[in-house]
Amino acid sequence: MKEKLKSLWQKLFGDSVRAFGVVSLVFLVSLAIAPAKNYFSEWRHYQHGYLKMIRNRSDAVTLQRHFQGGIQQIWLPDLGVVDRCTSCHVGLKEASLADVNVQPFRPHPVIPHKLDQFGCTVCHRGQGAATTVAEAHNSTLAWEQPILPAKYIESSCGECHRGPLPGVPQLNQGRHLLSRYGCVRCHTVKLPDATTMKPTDDPPSLEHIADKTTREWIYAWLKDPQAYASTATMPNFKLSDDDVRDISAFLIANSTPLPGDTATLTAKAPTDPTAGASLYGESFCASCHAVQNAAGNLVGGDLGPELTRIGSKVRPEWLQAWLRNPRDYDPETAMPHYRFNDPQVATFTGFLLAKTDSDLLANVHLEAATPEQIAHGKRLVSDYGCASCHEIGGIKKPENFAPELSRIGSKPITQLVFLPGMQHTLPDYVAAKIKQPRWFGQALKMPQYSFTPAQIDSLATALLALNDRAATLPPSLTVAAKLESDYQPAGKAGKLMTDLACFSCHRINGHGGDMAPDLTWEGSSVQREWLVEFLKNPNTLRPALVRRMPRFNLTDTEANELTDYIMTVYQNPAIDRDSMPLSGYPQGQVELGKQLFYGKYACQGCHIVDTKTDKGYIGPTLTNVGSRLTAAWIFEWMKNPQALRPGTAEPNRAMSDEDARALTAFLISQKGGGKSEVAKK
Amino acid sequence: MAKTFDQYFEDLRGTRVWRSIFRSGAGSSTLHRALAIQQNVFLHLFSTKVRTRMLSFSGTWYLGTLTLGTFLILVATGIPLMLYYHPSAPQAYADTKDLQFVVSSGLFLRNLHRWSAHAMVFLVFAHMFKVFYRGAYRTPREFNWVIGVVLLLMTLLLSYTGYLLPWDQLAYWAITVGSNIASAVPVMGDKIHFLLLGGHAVNANALLRFYVLHCMILPLTAMFFVAIHFWRIRKDGGLYSHASEPATLRANASAVATTAKEAQ
Repeated sequence: MKEKLKSLWQKLFGDSVRAFGVVSLVFLVSLAIAPAKNYFSEWRHYQHGYLKMIRNRSDAVTLQRHFQGGIQQIWLPDLGVVDRCTSCHVGLKEASLADVNVQPFRPHPVIPHKLDQFGCTVCHRGQGAATTVAEAHNSTLAWEQPILPAKYIESSCGECHRGPLPGVPQLNQGRHLLSRYGCVRCHTVKLPDATTMKPTDDPPSLEHIADKTTREWIYAWLKDPQAYASTATMPNFKLSDDDVRDISAFLIANSTPLPGDTATLTAKAPTDPTAGASLYGESFCASCHAVQNAAGNLVGGDLGPELTRIGSKVRPEWLQAWLRNPRDYDPETAMPHYRFNDPQVATFTGFLLAKTDSDLLANVHLEAATPEQIAHGKRLVSDYGCASCHEIGGIKKPENFAPELSRIGSKPITQLVFLPGMQHTLPDYVAAKIKQPRWFGQALKMPQYSFTPAQIDSLATALLALNDRAATLPPSLTVAAKLESDYQPAGKAGKLMTDLACFSCHRINGHGGDMAPDLTWEGSSVQREWLVEFLKNPNTLRPALVRRMPRFNLTDTEANELTDYIMTVYQNPAIDRDSMPLSGYPQGQVELGKQLFYGKYACQGCHIVDTKTDKGYIGPTLTNVGSRLTAAWIFEWMKNPQALRPGTAEPNRAMSDEDARALTAFLISQKGGGKSEVAKK
Repeated sequence: MAKTFDQYFEDLRGTRVWRSIFRSGAGSSTLHRALAIQQNVFLHLFSTKVRTRMLSFSGTWYLGTLTLGTFLILVATGIPLMLYYHPSAPQAYADTKDLQFVVSSGLFLRNLHRWSAHAMVFLVFAHMFKVFYRGAYRTPREFNWVIGVVLLLMTLLLSYTGYLLPWDQLAYWAITVGSNIASAVPVMGDKIHFLLLGGHAVNANALLRFYVLHCMILPLTAMFFVAIHFWRIRKDGGLYSHASEPATLRANASAVATTAKEAQ
């Protein structure tokens, strides 16, 4: 062996000429590796593959003509994008390759943006500059951001589109949940437009909690809020029995009484057992409150708390006080002041208190609290940041209680602590953290939410949109969110509107809910007499809709004051209410309008004018539209409905003035049967 | 009869053009050979004569020459790299990515530069140890040892300044740590730190400074000292050889004298 090696050495390096030759040869070969590696690169391999694939297709000539060899790139200096993905993904723009299922040759699905204007990595992330599969798609030593999993792709829309956007339900839902579940109460989220994300949940003040409920209920609630109401937004803090005992002790001891909450009612509940249910229905409580029915399904809205087990929670005196005027207990509540009379309050109280669950408090037996327990409870309330959401007497709302999430979508992976067996990617980390916060440490304070997997995905989607690119995007490239205005109506009518919580459902001047119609231009739209009547006794305008505005039992004075304010203030500057008369149109014009209605424009497809023949149920019923709307509004509405109410389902038919006038004449003549329509609900 | 390669070469050396460039003449006498070295702008730094023994591998392990070789590779690869590189943030990082992904053999160029730099640092240290353990730093070569130490410093500074240029996380933090060490110098530490970075933190100014140092100031300074280093070898009596050092010769001479005395 040794001999052999020695002779080999002699052969190769025996004298200086041999040695020089051998070394030169080795050097030459090693130099040749570089251009060879260059030539046999991955992108060249894929381009060859593509050409081979299209060769036998019927559209080969067109595809061949579109094909450009060599490294391709999309360069967008504004966005800091250099994307060379199209070097391998050659057929992205070829719609005719729809039948191809092999990557990297599949065409891109239809999207509202052009690839040349946005590149690839703006949405998909990954390393755009790379020209190898591994470097472009994966996270490497020199690149932390791998391709975004397809299920979170909507987060990229959110980088530029700051507001709700059609076509991205997951992103919209995620953003909604961040506010709805109060995530942003502990985690500050500063948006790129310099605003801060606002919560939309309504955690009650705990200053007078002892008026409202018992310590036993608080105990059961804190142990597991979802056991009381499956829809509860309050998360489960996974507290021990002792901690729950002490917190409930502190909250009760810390509560101060309100005088109104202890008054007892003289009126008796009615003997008719169905009276409560029918009053509950008539008052449209279900628009906001849900109740679990016998089949276990929730029936009702989610604006207010679920009432399935309300009888196990509230004290009767408090419930009565609340029903009389909720604003006495909570001035900020979204609940309207219904102006129920005493018998109605008694009926409601009886109806609601019957909704109990004997299991809920069966095992809760608490002894009188000791001062030590109360002090410990206070400390726990501070430790867990309860005051981030709830007002609690003597406890200050903590600032920055939890880490800020304004740039969570760009958090470096090196700063994350992953669990064993977990994928080391940011989306997986965020999703796991939302799913089970305490997986990452028993001492962590973040509570357990009961989100569905779909909700977790949408929350992760919304959070991933909060990244460096979103924060540093030039303003010209962003699509700003419509900011919620802080509009407040003034004066006596304003006070009345706050009392009735109009803004919980209606939107005016960019402020308020979306359950009911926008009223910004209501004064130009409707006739005074109709509005007064409607406020006193609301009916539904759409045949397919059971839900309607609840009856607030307004007095004549209140209804008139409110109407005056609406008629005077909520006017569209482009519409003069009195520019067109409400009657007296020539019969010929009315007839023409009728022909247009049933003929040219086929309005009966969605609307009903004649209850006997028309079947349209999508739009409002028009049998008495002549006594509801102003002629000027109808005319402008015919001309361009979207201008008056953006997003309305009414199509813009590009009507001539002639046609619009004729239809207005026809519609304004529909005064209806009068009272019979109004009385229906 | 066909001429041999040597004969062709001899003819070439006889031409007028050759003679106008290399003026030492066509002969191969000792004088001619000495002149060929002495009259060449690059070679005149070296001794006109070297002992054959010193050209064997065991004498020096060729460490100095290998170091020079890596330095030449670094210059040769560094210049094309400069063509693709902007010393500006954040373009610098994008340029290294371009070298990796779209420049033909760009990654090879970068890696060659990087590995040669590592090799050079290693070889410089090896050279130093070899010189130290053989005692080649002793009189009359003390000054060349000092030049060598300066060149070691140059090598390390070249490595350090080159480290920032990719403008990645590793670069950023390495330079942050390194420059903070500089600020630990007593009295003027903060001034040095500021001078080095062109500010109080590693940013675009530091990148530009390090680029100029790496591509201009340090290589030119290194070349200057390399020239002195080679020239001093000649001035100090050629490469170190234990048997022909004056001290050894003196010792041998006295030993011979002693032996002769004893013989008397």
